[in-house]
Amino acid sequence: MQTTGFWTVVKREVKRLTSRPIYLVGMIVVPVVMSFFFVSLLGEGLPEKVPAAIVDLDHSQTSRQLVRSLNAMELIDITQSENSYNDAIKAVQRGEVFGFFVIPENFERDAVGGRGPTLTFYSNLTFYVPGTLVFKGFKTLAVTTSGRIVQTDLVSKGAPQQLAETVLQPMTVQNHPLHNPWLNYSYYLTTSFLPGLLELMIFLMTVYAVTHELKTRSSIEWLRAGGGDIWTAILGKLAPQTLIFTVIGFGMNALMFGWHHFPMNGSMGWLLAGMFLFVIACQSFALFVCEILPNMRLALSTCSLTGILAFSIAAFSFPVQAMYGGIGIFSYILPVRWYFLIYIDQALNGIPLFYSRFYYIALLVFPILAMLAAPLLRRAARKPVYVP
Amino acid sequence: MKGAWSDIKEWIHETALVFRREFSLIFHDPGVMLFFFALPLVYPIVYAAIYNPEVTRDMPVAVVDNSRTAESREFIRHADATSAMKICGYASDLKEAQRWWEEKKCYAVIEIPADYARQLGRGEQGVVQFYSDVSLLLRYRTFLESLTELQMATDTQLREKAMNTLGVTSMGSGSSVQTEAFFLGDPQQGFASFILPGIVVLILQQSMLLGITMLCGTSAERRRRNGGVDPLEIAASPSAAVIGRTLCYVAIYMPLTIYILHYIPYWFSFPHIGNILDYFLFMLPLLIASALLGQTLRFMVSERESAFIVVVFTSVAFLFLSGLTWPRYAMQPFWQWLGDIVPATWGIEGFIRINNNGAPLALEARPYHWLWGLSVAYLVTAYLVTRYKTRRG
Repeated sequence: MQTTGFWTVVKREVKRLTSRPIYLVGMIVVPVVMSFFFVSLLGEGLPEKVPAAIVDLDHSQTSRQLVRSLNAMELIDITQSENSYNDAIKAVQRGEVFGFFVIPENFERDAVGGRGPTLTFYSNLTFYVPGTLVFKGFKTLAVTTSGRIVQTDLVSKGAPQQLAETVLQPMTVQNHPLHNPWLNYSYYLTTSFLPGLLELMIFLMTVYAVTHELKTRSSIEWLRAGGGDIWTAILGKLAPQTLIFTVIGFGMNALMFGWHHFPMNGSMGWLLAGMFLFVIACQSFALFVCEILPNMRLALSTCSLTGILAFSIAAFSFPVQAMYGGIGIFSYILPVRWYFLIYIDQALNGIPLFYSRFYYIALLVFPILAMLAAPLLRRAARKPVYVP
Repeated sequence: MKGAWSDIKEWIHETALVFRREFSLIFHDPGVMLFFFALPLVYPIVYAAIYNPEVTRDMPVAVVDNSRTAESREFIRHADATSAMKICGYASDLKEAQRWWEEKKCYAVIEIPADYARQLGRGEQGVVQFYSDVSLLLRYRTFLESLTELQMATDTQLREKAMNTLGVTSMGSGSSVQTEAFFLGDPQQGFASFILPGIVVLILQQSMLLGITMLCGTSAERRRRNGGVDPLEIAASPSAAVIGRTLCYVAIYMPLTIYILHYIPYWFSFPHIGNILDYFLFMLPLLIASALLGQTLRFMVSERESAFIVVVFTSVAFLFLSGLTWPRYAMQPFWQWLGDIVPATWGIEGFIRINNNGAPLALEARPYHWLWGLSVAYLVTAYLVTRYKTRRG
């Protein structure tokens, strides 16, 4: 007599997973390659030495000194010197530089004479990160230059040196970016986009594995291996993938927090627990889609759509609070949103687990919903129909 | 001579047949239609809806005011008035403020020291502490910007007061060196205006790749079912097949390109100052290169639905390789090279400079030449792959 039950389904599934290269590609090759892709691509974390141009219309000692200070900055690399505003704009339009700094004619004369010349600088924000960095560098230089000239003037008018300094900046704000004082971009992008990518691949592979049974009409045999019980059949089918994806997810975290020393101010254990629940939640989300739409193409389309939109709507860069309410709410139907919140609390900020309790609970809601809707899949599995 | 002429006529006839057949294949396949039409039509609107608020405003900030003086209260009032910050409450000490932060009631804390007013009065420097959550860079950046403005305004005000007490009158605020910053391409510094023009180009390429690979996968399935022959395939030379299909895809994408590159920025008031002829001419090789790249990828799909697994995730990779989020000059040579061979990399780069910076086509010669170069390269690869597949039967 043929055996049935959980382990029979598991064994059957392992055989299926190893029989086709697409599973190897989707479950292991893509996530692993993309992990190294992100970590390597964003390696430095801060794209310093942004190419920029200078337009020096003054050609005085002061202006040359300004150019030297610009060149000495970490953030900026003055790659070219242009003769006019028009030439500089063209360099921006050609994509050679991300911004330029203009020293006006007679700058030295006007500055010393107290006629208030203006230093202008342009940053190209079509490329956000370099545009922002070039702005930051220019601004720092412009402000310190302006300050130095005022200070020299004050001292020459007889104010004591120290007083001149405080008069220049009577009040200052000290900034403390909590837990990422380097403002390393990789810490934002890698830690959010990698789980996003993992979610996408779990969605696709879960849907593929489940609906492939319907496409090839093997679902009847699948159900039989589970002893006719849809819950056993589902658990047995998804368990091998849960194991593989959890290992991949743990590996991603090891790569980021272990090998590359991303900030880990909380407990790795709770982050990994979150990862395990996240993998299950992603599988459950995809399973739920299959239950509602037991059609390979529609289910894959739906999951691709949500998986790709997740990168935007889960608010890795643009905050949910700033989105329209009716759109921001969709953020919370995605497992990766909850995992992202867990990561911020438990890894980046390292605050007590208590404050993240609801995120863990939210991840547990996904499997419950998917299991409740399982009978829908049983109906489809008994009479599989393939619609191309 | 006559033979050559009839060969050419035959070839054109084959191309036309392939062109027509491909059209009918596409329009009878709801899966492909979804990629070719629904995706380019709907996705830009969805993205625009997500990012349309452009900026983040009035983020809650807690205050720990140890000074409790007119000066400290004035500073807080001004902080509240900035676009980034909204004072959500006074905490008794940093510990309480920290708890608010942990409960996500605030994203930043302003701490004013007990001797703040005294220091200002004595002519010493008053120092205010600002603790900010940096889980989202945009939030921090917005805080920082408002904070810098706030500090400068407060300084100017205090300086004028100090000048008067010192009796130095010549140094008014008007006579020091002024600084002025301009933002090109995205003057409002909005998030949607920055990301949308790039994303739409990627959508053009990716939707096309998805559709084409699905068509290829379906054809491969038909071939398997029919003993190695696809009954719906026109018996044409590989070159006619490649050219005919490419013409079909490009023809379908022409109207979509106008929609995506002109109407989307226009409707949503994104930066849109380029010359329509310029960016349309610029996009032509992008469409051709994408169509040929799609046909090159057919060796990777043996099944209709493999398209999802092989192509969807590349959108994320291509987005990063294009340099939109992470500048290309900071990448290692290998990644730069990989980005070079993706049409969308050059498409995004050139299009956003035409569209946001108002660059004429002539200044985008480098990406333009790259796109034509890729078109030629992928024409060769698509031809080779198609010939290989046809020979194998």
